[in-house]
Amino acid sequence: MAQETEVREEEMQREYRNVGKPVTRIEGAGKVTGETIYADDMQLPRMLHAKVLGSPYAHARIKSIDGSAARQHPGVEAVFTPADLPEYKKNFSNRRGVIFPDEEVLFYGQPVAAVLASDPHVAEEALALIKVEYEALPPVVDPITAMEESSPLVRSPLGDVDRSEERGHVTVGVEQEEAEGKPSNIASQMNFKRGDVEAGFEQADVVVEHTWRSAVVHQSYIEPHSTVADYDASGELSVWTSTQAPFYIRDELSQTLGLPENKIRVTATEVGGGFGGKIYLQELMVAALAMAVRRPVKYIMSRKEDMLAATPAPQAVIDLKTSMTRDGKLTALKSRVVYDSGAFPGAPMLPGCLLVGGYYKCENLDIQGYEVLTNKVSVGALRAPGAHNVTFAIESHMDMMARELGLDPIEVRLKNAVEEGDPLPSGQPYPRIGLKQCLEAIAESEVWGRRNRERGTGNRGVGLAVGGWLGGLQPASAIVCLNSDGTINVTVGSADITGTNTSFAQITAEVLNVPLEMVNVTTGDTRTAPYAGMSAGSKTTYTVGRAVKLAAEDARQQMLEIAAKRFEAAPKELEMADGVVRLNGSDEKTLTFQRLGRLSTNFAAPFPAVVGRGAITTRKMAPGFTAQAAEVEVDTDTGEVTVLGFAVAQDAGFAINPLSVEGQMQGGASQGLGIALSEEMMYDSEGRLLNGNLLDYRMPTTRDLPPIEAIIVEVPSEEGPYGARIVGEPSIVAGAAAVGNAIADAIGVHLTDAPFTPERVLRALGKL
Amino acid sequence: MRTFEYHAPTSLNEAISLLQEHGEAARPLAGGTDLVVQMKEKATKFAAPSHIVSLLRVPELSGVSFSESEGLRIGAGATMSQVADSPIIRERYRAIAEGAALVGSIQTMNMATVGGNLCNAAPSADIAPPLLAFEAEAVIVGPSGRRKLALEEFFLGPGKTALAADELLAEVRVPLPPPGMGSAYDRHTPRKQMDIAVVGVAAALTMAGERIERARVALGAVAPTPVRAPQAEAALEGQAPSDELFARAADVSAAECSPIADLRGSAEFRRHIVRVMTKRMLREALDRARSG
Repeated sequence: MAQETEVREEEMQREYRNVGKPVTRIEGAGKVTGETIYADDMQLPRMLHAKVLGSPYAHARIKSIDGSAARQHPGVEAVFTPADLPEYKKNFSNRRGVIFPDEEVLFYGQPVAAVLASDPHVAEEALALIKVEYEALPPVVDPITAMEESSPLVRSPLGDVDRSEERGHVTVGVEQEEAEGKPSNIASQMNFKRGDVEAGFEQADVVVEHTWRSAVVHQSYIEPHSTVADYDASGELSVWTSTQAPFYIRDELSQTLGLPENKIRVTATEVGGGFGGKIYLQELMVAALAMAVRRPVKYIMSRKEDMLAATPAPQAVIDLKTSMTRDGKLTALKSRVVYDSGAFPGAPMLPGCLLVGGYYKCENLDIQGYEVLTNKVSVGALRAPGAHNVTFAIESHMDMMARELGLDPIEVRLKNAVEEGDPLPSGQPYPRIGLKQCLEAIAESEVWGRRNRERGTGNRGVGLAVGGWLGGLQPASAIVCLNSDGTINVTVGSADITGTNTSFAQITAEVLNVPLEMVNVTTGDTRTAPYAGMSAGSKTTYTVGRAVKLAAEDARQQMLEIAAKRFEAAPKELEMADGVVRLNGSDEKTLTFQRLGRLSTNFAAPFPAVVGRGAITTRKMAPGFTAQAAEVEVDTDTGEVTVLGFAVAQDAGFAINPLSVEGQMQGGASQGLGIALSEEMMYDSEGRLLNGNLLDYRMPTTRDLPPIEAIIVEVPSEEGPYGARIVGEPSIVAGAAAVGNAIADAIGVHLTDAPFTPERVLRALGKL
Repeated sequence: MRTFEYHAPTSLNEAISLLQEHGEAARPLAGGTDLVVQMKEKATKFAAPSHIVSLLRVPELSGVSFSESEGLRIGAGATMSQVADSPIIRERYRAIAEGAALVGSIQTMNMATVGGNLCNAAPSADIAPPLLAFEAEAVIVGPSGRRKLALEEFFLGPGKTALAADELLAEVRVPLPPPGMGSAYDRHTPRKQMDIAVVGVAAALTMAGERIERARVALGAVAPTPVRAPQAEAALEGQAPSDELFARAADVSAAECSPIADLRGSAEFRRHIVRVMTKRMLREALDRARSG
């Protein structure tokens, strides 16, 4: 191990020609010019369009469904009620295991029936002709009320819960207890304990206790969920879908529909935004309908359907009590972490419980997590699922305690920040991490530099917060082939949602020491590509990137062996640069990649084709930390908060493509600012979504966002390619907390409910 | 499949005859930024117009013109961009330009029309409070000719106007602002653009020396229609402007409006914002009146 680390440090000092250089995304031009083909662009002969009828009740029993009038509607090809669905292996305890409920409807907008027609408008029209008789049942909307013993049940009791999707986002060796005993709305719970919290509170000079609430927020990708499926005469199912997880969908469809995995071809079409929300949702329905009618079926969610019935991120209620000694040592942390999972299990309680006590060394911990069911849409992942909710709580507390003790917020955090070897609340030790380095970097940011200058001027304030994400782990593989003209093809199975294919091209070009243009990377479908885990949990570059590096090294070795045989020399006497292999630096004994390609592909060529193979598994986390600073101005008359400046320092391990890394940092920070300022799904007391549109669900516009300063910190991971670690998710985590702390710096009050709307600011100021 | 007939008349008379012919089954279409969205949202209910009468090619509805004798004429078909960018409106009718410049995105502003914004009769219409503050008149054309109506009387309720099914709003007439007048409009929205007013406030002050000769305050999104705030106006007129006076007038306007609570804000919050923004708009209008 020590040896490998040394090698890595040597590597870090080397001058690279491709990795570590800012490169514009290879697929970017198609996206900005509109040439990119998305799932909705797919047109197949005889294709039908599906439209789906959603429940008008958050909780109800379906007494009857009559699709006969819809079937008679001119142009309608088929109507599917629960009774018309083909056989599939149902699992009512999982959202993805149910196409339509047999009987009990669990959330407003839940699909209960579908219509197929050649014309999507005809299909939509016919939905109104489906007669559904419901018996309304009492809806349970608030998670805290739902936990009470007297609460009505959200649904009939659950069977076994499959948590495979959540593990794609964060992979930690902890199992949560599924609820047992008397039926309740608590789907699962967990507890982490260390030391004695009461004794810890006793030793402290300051104790802070508050309840922190954050809203249901939606991923709000530009492209709604979109899927096309076809089932052909050979018994093969093809699915083209906007997903981050093609292999996961294949595996799930195989189990649910009873088809072997080699008869399922899932193609991850270009994803118009996923952020964790595009894993596996409507694919089962579209595939089942295509199999039933033996025609291609397309289903594109409308924006409203996507907001009603996709998988937004949960609200959470965090009770937190923390304490600190006069010199800034955190002595105890006690928390009750409640995630509202909606109608099906799947809330990120585990990462929430790990992170609420995972940023700081603390000898006394007591963290109790609850995953609570309500009659709302079931939740999914959104960029570091669950992390922002708990970070808002703990990072507000760190500021409150520092303020009360008159200590510097960065110093207090540095004093307590976790580092390599410190235990997570689960006891598992951290590998090498860069939390402290991020804090040191944010201290140097322009935004933080304005902290003391702005104090007391108008209603401006500067605040900061840290955040982190542990990341997912999954095996990965890649193939690198030499073409006959000397160019290189790379094939992977991971959906490219963040520019990972560009990074893979950089890695391959680095290993082969060629210009980037010589490498082309393809994401294959599940029949043609080597296996990769879902593009989630920030792990794609960390895991697939390592496989690509190995595959490129394998291809390089094969090419050197061919050259060695030609020159009758040893491979180590050869060098490879700019598409040419040379013997001992000589210009006489050279072989171009083109020549090598021909020698391994032509008729009767003397050498086998060059096919580099890389396959890895990674069991070591490479957590990504961030420190973020916000400068705000608060209009104390209207309650408006304007973010004037924002800075993100984030540990990328090694930024293979700094341009892409900065983009991830700025994009995640923008989403964090949306969570802080305006994003909130609102439900009425009957569990109906009130703002299922992008006018009243307010994502920040360009004018709401400040310039975002991106500071890349590089503390190499132990296993990632060139030291790269997880990058995509951490940037969203700290926004709400940083803005909340900046508001407190400006007006002296911490807001405990996010988003910080003008009305909430005014209430906090006592003006309403 | 649900269909509708699309008509593209080339004169005001032709447009009126089409409306006369199809009655309630027809809807006029201008920029479509409200109507098309509403039609899409109702798409499954079979309740949609069967005739669309496009006003795009009706020349009588277009343009913005001004004369010192007659004041300002804004064609119902004038777009928000045209109004926001009009030099004469920016100079002499500042609040109107400010209202137009806040409607949706740049793309929305290039399509949305003044007539559409008024006829959609949303309480939050951004162009309405400034026009009310300038005492604009609606010019309505129907089968029996033209009639004029004070804009205040044009709005009857959310989505309801004084237009009969066969009438069109042809233009808006805005009187010449007296010398010494300054005006301002702004609105409160949770985000900085692409939003709908939670509260909109327009103020217009005409100064005679150090005294407020005439005051106009108009409010959006705090009553079933855009409204004037007559009691606040009365509190201001004849007085010397001061922070105290403006604060008093702001309290009056907050008291006389009748906001509802919805997902965009509670009634209490809206009243508070009316108070804050009335004060701000009065101050702005005063500064502008004084700087000419």
